Amino acid sequence: MAELRTSADLWDELLENDGSPRAASSQLVQQLKGLGLAELQQRQDLAELDIVGMGITFTVYSDGRGIDRAWPFDVVPRVIAAQEWRLIEQGLAQRLRAINMFIDDVYHEQCVVRDGVFPAELLAHSVNFRQECVGANPKFGVWAHISGSDLVRDGDGTMYVLEDNLRVPSGVSYMLENRAISKRAFADLFAKQSILPVDAYTDELNRMLTSIAPDGVSEPTIAVLTPGIYNSAYFEHSFLAQRIGAALVEGIDLVVSDDDCVYMRTIDGLERVHVIYRRVDDLFIDPEVFREDSTLGVPGLMRAWRAGNVAIANAPGAGVADDKVVYAWVPDLIRYYLHEEPLLPNVPTYRCVYDDERQYVIEHIAELVIKPANESGGYGLLIGNRASRTELDDAIARIEADPRNWVAQPTLALSTVPTLCDGVLEPRHVDLRPFILSGATSYVSAGGLTRVALRKGSLIVNSSQGGGSKDTWIVEA
Amino acid sequence: MLLSRVADNLYWGARYMERAEDTARVVRSFTDLILDLPRGVASSWEPLLAVAGSREEYDAGHVRAQESDIVRFLVADQSNGGSVVSSVASARENLRTTREVLPREAWQAVNDLYLFTSRDTESGVDRRSRSRYLGRVMTDCQRLDGVLSGMMRRDQAYELWRLGQMVERADMTTRVLGVRAASLLSAAESSDDFDEVQWMGVLKSVTAMQMYQRSQRGPIEGASVVSFLLFDKTFPRSVAGCVQRMRSALSRLPRPHDTLPAVDALEALLATLPAQATDGVALDEAMDRVQAALADLNMRVYETFVGGTP
Repeated sequence: MAELRTSADLWDELLENDGSPRAASSQLVQQLKGLGLAELQQRQDLAELDIVGMGITFTVYSDGRGIDRAWPFDVVPRVIAAQEWRLIEQGLAQRLRAINMFIDDVYHEQCVVRDGVFPAELLAHSVNFRQECVGANPKFGVWAHISGSDLVRDGDGTMYVLEDNLRVPSGVSYMLENRAISKRAFADLFAKQSILPVDAYTDELNRMLTSIAPDGVSEPTIAVLTPGIYNSAYFEHSFLAQRIGAALVEGIDLVVSDDDCVYMRTIDGLERVHVIYRRVDDLFIDPEVFREDSTLGVPGLMRAWRAGNVAIANAPGAGVADDKVVYAWVPDLIRYYLHEEPLLPNVPTYRCVYDDERQYVIEHIAELVIKPANESGGYGLLIGNRASRTELDDAIARIEADPRNWVAQPTLALSTVPTLCDGVLEPRHVDLRPFILSGATSYVSAGGLTRVALRKGSLIVNSSQGGGSKDTWIVEA
Repeated sequence: MLLSRVADNLYWGARYMERAEDTARVVRSFTDLILDLPRGVASSWEPLLAVAGSREEYDAGHVRAQESDIVRFLVADQSNGGSVVSSVASARENLRTTREVLPREAWQAVNDLYLFTSRDTESGVDRRSRSRYLGRVMTDCQRLDGVLSGMMRRDQAYELWRLGQMVERADMTTRVLGVRAASLLSAAESSDDFDEVQWMGVLKSVTAMQMYQRSQRGPIEGASVVSFLLFDKTFPRSVAGCVQRMRSALSRLPRPHDTLPAVDALEALLATLPAQATDGVALDEAMDRVQAALADLNMRVYETFVGGTP
C-alpha cells in the first residue's frame, strides 16, 4: 500500500494535516493507496513513454545548442475543489479586467496617475512602457489578451497571486497534454468522478482571437508568430497553431505591404493576415520601431497595427503592467477602476518608494524576499533569511539609493502535493499557473499548469531547472 | 493556404523519408543477394555506394571498401547526410516545423522511427540484426505513408509531400537501373548461372519482385525487368509511375504552367528510350539524363513555391 506523507507545517493539496484526504481528493487518495507503489510507478513509466512517443518536449540550452528534452511529468495529480476554483476564477477575471483598464489608461489619459493612485515617476521609469503605443486603440480596450498568473498557497491555506505574466506566458499546451496523459493513467477515476475538462481552452482562444480581428472581418486569417524552432516554447507554438487551425509563422514569412496590411508568403503568393498571436517579445517584433537587429520580427508591423489593419495579441506595450511594481498596485487598481474589493489577495508587497513601507523593509529585511521591480527571471533577487549580514547591508544600500526599483515580500511556505520520487511518495512544493483570455468577454482555464519542484525542499518549479509538472483536477466534491 | 517555408520543409521531409526507406531497402536486398551468391561471384559491396549516389563522399573518408564500412556509412553514419539515420533525423527536423499541417500521427510515426534508428545504430550494421533493423525502417516509413493516405486532406501540403516522395523515389529507381541493371546488361555476354539471381536482386531493391512476376510470364529476363521498372505506369515505383504522380501533384498545386514543363521534359525523355534495353552503357547514360531532368524539376519547384535561388 502506498504511504502518503506530509510535512507538519506545510499545507498539502491532497491531505489534511493528520494525513486524511481532503474532501475533493478522497477518491484519488483512496485509489493511490489501493494501487500500491509498484503499480503507481508502472503508470508513471507508461506516462513517460507516452510523452516521448507523442514528442512532448521543451528545449533547453547547453553549450549554445538547443536540446529537445522530454516534458517532465509526475503522475500524481493536484486536486482543487470546484467550489474554491469558482472563486479563483472570478478573482482572476477581475484582476485582468482591472489590469487591461490600467494599460489602456496608461497609453491614453493616464487618469490613474492624475488621480494620485499610481506614482508618475514609476511610469516614467518603467522599462516596459512603449512610447510607440501611446494613443493606440486595440479592440475592446484590451491589451493583455492572453495571460498566465502564478498562484501559490501559503501554510494557512490562503491562495495568493504571486505574479501576472502578460507578455508571452507559456505553459498552456502542457496543461492540455498533461490532461491527455493523466486520462490514460487514471482512466478509472475519470470515469467515476466529475473532473472539469480543460480542452475548451483552445476553442476559447480561437474565439477570442477571432473577436479581435479588424472591423468587418468575420473569418479572419490567424497566425501564430514564433521566434522559431530553437525557442524553448516552440513545441507550444506549434501545438497551439495546430489546435486553432492557424498558420505557424516566423518573421520571414510575413511582410507588410505599401497598404500597411500584413501578408504571409504562401505558395499561392501573398495572403492577408488579420490576427497575429505573437510569441515574440515586444522589442523584437518590428525592427523599424524597436530593435533594429531583430531578425525575428516583421518590418512595418507596428505601422499595420496602429492603422488597425492587424490585431496583435498580446498588444505591443501590454508588458507595462507586467512588472513587480505594477503588481504591487493591482489591488489598488481593482478598487480604482472597478470599485470592487479584490477577490484574490496579492502576496503582501512592500513598495520601497513609499517611506513607511521602505522603513519596514529595512527593519525586517532578514525575513523578506527583496525583488528588483523590473527584472524577470529572478535576477537580483535576495532571500533575506538565506543572506549574510553583508549581503543584507548591501541590499539596504541598494534600496536607499534607488527606492522605486525595489519591492519586498514575506517568504511563503509553498503548499505541497505527494509526488513520486525514487519510487516513494514525498511531499513536493507546487505552484499553479492558470491562463486567462480577455477579449469581448473573459475566460479562465479550468485549473491550469501545476508546476512542481522535484528536489526535496526546493521551491524552484521551472522545468529548465529541474522542475516537473502535474495534471490539475478541478473536482466537484 | 500553405506557407512557402513550410512547403519547402514538407517537400524535403518527404524526400528524406523516402531516401531513408529506399536506402534501407537497397542495403537489405543487396545483403540478401550476396548471401545467395557463392564466393567468388561479384561479392564486392561497392555497387551499393554507386546506387546510393555516395561514391565520392565515401572515398573522401575511407580507404577500405569492406562490407561493414560501406554498410555503416550508408546506414549508421551520422556524418553522411544520405545515411538512413541522417535521413530520418533530417526528416524529423523538417517535420518539426510542419507539425501543424500534418496529422498528429504523422509526427508520431516519424518521431518513433527517429528514436528507434538513433538508439542503436550499430544493429543496422551487424549482419545478425541488420535485416530486422532495416525492415523496421521500411515498415515505419510505410506506416507514415498510411497515416497520410488515410488521415490527411488532399490539400496542398499533401500534394507537396507526394511530389517530394516521387522525385526521390524516381531518383532511386534510376540509380538502381543505371548502376545494377546497366552492369548486368554489359556483362550479359559472359552470362553465368547466377544471372537470374542478380536480376531478382535488382527487382527486390525496389520491392518490385512480386509485381513484376504478376505482370510478366516466364522466367526473369533482363530487358523486361528494365522495361518494367522504367515504363510500367501501374507500378508505383517505376520511373513512369513516379512521373505520372508528379504530374498530378503539380496540376493540383499553384501555377502549374510554371512547373509542368519540367514534367513534360521528363516524359519526352522517357519516350526516347528503347522499349527493350540491351545496351548497358546506353542505359547508364540515359539514367544520368533522367536524373538531370529530375534535378531541373526540383529547381523549378523551389523557384515556383519558395522563391529565389536555393
